[in-house]
Amino acid sequence: MNAPAECLVAASGVALSNYNHPSCLIYGIGNVGRQDDGLGWAFIDWLESKSLCPRAEITRHYQLHLEDADLISRKSRVLFVDATKDPAVEQFWLERVQPKMDFSFTSHAISIPSIMATCEQCFGRLPEVHLLTIRGYAWELEEGLTPTARQNLEAATEQIAAIPVSK
Amino acid sequence: MSRKLVIDPVTRIEGHGKVTVHLDDNNRVTDAKLHVVEFRGFEKFIQGHPYWEAPMLLQRICGICFVSHHLAGAKVLDDITGVGYSTGVEMLPTAEKVRRLGHYGQQLQSHVTAYFYLIVPEMLFGMDAPPEQRNVLGLVEANPELVKRVVALRKWGQEVIKTVFGKRMHGISSVPGGVNKGVSIAERDRLLNGEDGLLSMDQVIEYAQEGLQLFYDFHEKHRKQVDGFAEVPALNMSLVDDSGNVDYYHGSMRIVDKNKSIVAELNYHDYLDYFAEATEEWSYMKFPYLKELGREAGSVRVGPLARVNVTRSYGDSTPLAQAALERFHEYTNGRANDMTLHTNWARAIEILHSAELIRELLNDPDLQGEQLILMPADNAWTGEGVGVVEAPRGTLLHHYRADEEGAITSVNLVVATTQNNTVMNRTVRSVAEEYLGGQAEITEGMMNAIEVGIRAYDPCLSCATHAMGQMPLVVSVYDAGGGLVDERAR
Repeated sequence: MNAPAECLVAASGVALSNYNHPSCLIYGIGNVGRQDDGLGWAFIDWLESKSLCPRAEITRHYQLHLEDADLISRKSRVLFVDATKDPAVEQFWLERVQPKMDFSFTSHAISIPSIMATCEQCFGRLPEVHLLTIRGYAWELEEGLTPTARQNLEAATEQIAAIPVSK
Repeated sequence: MSRKLVIDPVTRIEGHGKVTVHLDDNNRVTDAKLHVVEFRGFEKFIQGHPYWEAPMLLQRICGICFVSHHLAGAKVLDDITGVGYSTGVEMLPTAEKVRRLGHYGQQLQSHVTAYFYLIVPEMLFGMDAPPEQRNVLGLVEANPELVKRVVALRKWGQEVIKTVFGKRMHGISSVPGGVNKGVSIAERDRLLNGEDGLLSMDQVIEYAQEGLQLFYDFHEKHRKQVDGFAEVPALNMSLVDDSGNVDYYHGSMRIVDKNKSIVAELNYHDYLDYFAEATEEWSYMKFPYLKELGREAGSVRVGPLARVNVTRSYGDSTPLAQAALERFHEYTNGRANDMTLHTNWARAIEILHSAELIRELLNDPDLQGEQLILMPADNAWTGEGVGVVEAPRGTLLHHYRADEEGAITSVNLVVATTQNNTVMNRTVRSVAEEYLGGQAEITEGMMNAIEVGIRAYDPCLSCATHAMGQMPLVVSVYDAGGGLVDERAR
């Protein structure tokens, strides 16, 4: 997973301009009080600071909830943005997500594939879902990204902003 | 050969705990303990912070019942600044009703989570069903229409919270002496009438009734199991109003016995005169008890079952919940109910009660009042306060002291799960005796029976010890010498 350009080509439908519509959702997951766990929200901050996708629904939450299945059922296209501690991700990774009931539920957390599977089964609809994960390194009770995580965020935003609109 | 069974950690509760069951040579239970082995120490690290930060910081103990922590802390700040109940000051009507609205919204949302996401799957699939089936995702596959309704119900509760606190988790509404905003007519009408993607108030009440019916149906089919599962004695405690009826936001702490005779009733500001806390080296969670009765006789149960045991009535304004309460009381001929799984019955009743209370509040024009904050008089500063609310899991107490500069010098939190510590241990013992005693093999179903007993209390070990996280279930069996005999994991 050390070639972001490769994943960006695979996910070429994620041109940000494709999200500039009320039927699209960009969802930052994380906790800014836990250092690099704030990467998902920092991506949303960047979007807003650049006035990108002003017509899309933008949201920030600490974690996913089952009712997010209802939320995404009303959308045609969803981009989740989250931090990752996976060392296989050098800076960031963008991928298309498929529904899967992985039984990961607790009252505090649920996976994106399970949210999608719930959406499909309960609401009979399924949007196109992509996940952008950005590599983080520190997760203590402290505000602010580490310098390396910030570099990764900048790399992600720079390259995602450059994705051409799909035909 | 004596044996020790360890369930570590218990799954699908908030936080991290483990259970050990000690067996003798004949596999009879000789002892059982619920251990709470993690620690975060909110009471310590809040010291030195400005007093007004406490309700904001301490609500982050939990992502489920943060409103309760926020409101208990807010009541402390009212006291500290000289506009609280400790000085005999009554809160402004709008401020109190806005706080109550957020409180009831959280109770509805929290109970819906516990009941539908964790307990209903167990009722529908059975406690012996594989773990991957008996959770809400199993329910998605078996009954998607029910889950769709549950999602809508919880979402509506979250919208109540968002209306009051500004966001669905860890928002801020209460400030010393009041609240920072009221509820507009547009916000009120949205919750009452619903909109595309949001239930109406009438639908919420309809769905809450359906949730209660699920319990009735399950109870009808499995009466022996539900009634016979861990019937354990305990006193029952709840906040009550002047009529002796439950008040989730404010009142005196009433403790009743099996006959519903009042054992003690206290102004919660005096709790230290009545309660002591025992400690054990095997758990970070303390064991509160009434000093006068001692630890064995003076331990209390709190939460839904305790509240429906204590309250005499819900009054006329919530007729559906009142009818459900009467049915509950009649089941035990008016005596206190000690059947652990009836906690789920009580929780379903309280979902309905919360919904009706919210409807009553939303129709109250005081929510649109403009007087939001009571300003303290000169020299009103007291520097100390106690705040108690009925959190979804039971009676929650915050107690802070602050110096003249406003820095917090001490904090004591007695959360519902801590109050329930002794009765949860009794439940574990009872279930272990019933399900594990005499069995040669430790099965998933037997392990889960212990979890079901604990989960009925919907314990928040994160709150009780301020721990976080969940892990897979590991069961280990040790002989008397400490050697590992058997181990299971999932």
